[in-house]
Amino acid sequence: MSGYRIVTLADLDRIEVPGSPVLRPLRHELGVTAFGINAFTGDETGDLVIEQHREEGGPEELYAVVTGRATFTLDGVAVDAPAGTLVHAPPELLREAVAAEPGTTVLAIGADIGKAFSPSGWESFTLANAYRRRGELAAGRAIVVARLTGSPSDWKSHYNAARFEALAGDTDAALVHLRHALALNASEVRKLAPADADLDSLRSDQRFAEAIA
Amino acid sequence: MNAVHVDDLERIELDDGFVWRPVRRYFDIRAFGVNAYTAREAGGQIVEEHSEGVLGHEEIYLVLRGRARFTVGGDEHELAAGQLVFVSDPALQRGAVAIDADTVVLAVGGKPGVAYTVSAWETMFAAAPLGRAGRWEEAIALHQEALAGEPDHPALLYNLACLEARGGRHLDALLHLRRAAALEPRWAEHARSDDDFAAIRGEPGFPA
Repeated sequence: MSGYRIVTLADLDRIEVPGSPVLRPLRHELGVTAFGINAFTGDETGDLVIEQHREEGGPEELYAVVTGRATFTLDGVAVDAPAGTLVHAPPELLREAVAAEPGTTVLAIGADIGKAFSPSGWESFTLANAYRRRGELAAGRAIVVARLTGSPSDWKSHYNAARFEALAGDTDAALVHLRHALALNASEVRKLAPADADLDSLRSDQRFAEAIA
Repeated sequence: MNAVHVDDLERIELDDGFVWRPVRRYFDIRAFGVNAYTAREAGGQIVEEHSEGVLGHEEIYLVLRGRARFTVGGDEHELAAGQLVFVSDPALQRGAVAIDADTVVLAVGGKPGVAYTVSAWETMFAAAPLGRAGRWEEAIALHQEALAGEPDHPALLYNLACLEARGGRHLDALLHLRRAAALEPRWAEHARSDDDFAAIRGEPGFPA
């Protein structure tokens, strides 16, 4: 039936990025548009479940320990967090969490104060790149295209669209996005593009050389 | 304090039988709505029967512990810990009863496309036990605090008038009831049969 969906967190896709917690992409799976919400799993004790970071200038977040037990470090202070613990993280708080038991899952909820929610580029690009690594290029490309629709003035969205179009073999589309990205943030694009293997299919095209010169 | 276990949150028992555990208020979260709910006993209500038609919220209900039987749009589903229901259609009626006595449901909500604002029902829920205890001035103060940010909120004004009428502040009650009715005429109709206004129903100026 439309209008609602039921999900089991343990059944969600596992997005594994070396050095990062295992992302369970709940918001993307459900299509939530009012707030950010994702889960992270640590399979073994000591696994990272929340990367060390602040969200300065970004979202206020709440973490809920759903299964297992986590040890949070909040501005340098360790906090034991068994299942059922809620941790509030204002944007400026330095936070990190590791699993203190096998099979720990933490739900992360977030949004900016005083602003309508829009999904973060981080989520879109993490998912798109994970799908690409699995060989699901079309799925990754679709995420990048959707991101671009919602953020047409974001240089990273155009740059990632250029990468995915180049990988898909659409040189013309890739170059158009690359030019957009350059127009929005030339210095960052000129740093990244020369060594980005995802753009290799463009390098023999004279327009690429002209664009990033 | 940046961390709390859900069992250590305040318990606010509401008339419909469920127990509100005010997460958002505890942390003063301003970016989204989030609260936990427990039941008084197994089989008791844990998520009140309601829709989000007025607020327009998307909502997620996660079973954090135990099991709950949800009814969403007339369909029944039993959810265990680690399962959730995402209700994207605000008009859908939804509610849940606890299957296990220690069940906890975490609810997260917000309206797509607009910045989050604190819902007026939180003030009314927070004031409910104060009203039951006859602590009118404290319940009134909570409403005044909420109205400072939203002075023309009809439901808050109406609820404030109820408390003022019960607490003996009859003129204040009349003023606020009249204001609520002017903003939304349905409140005048409510007031005619609301026991809270028994003491002032005969006063000049009571909405006809």
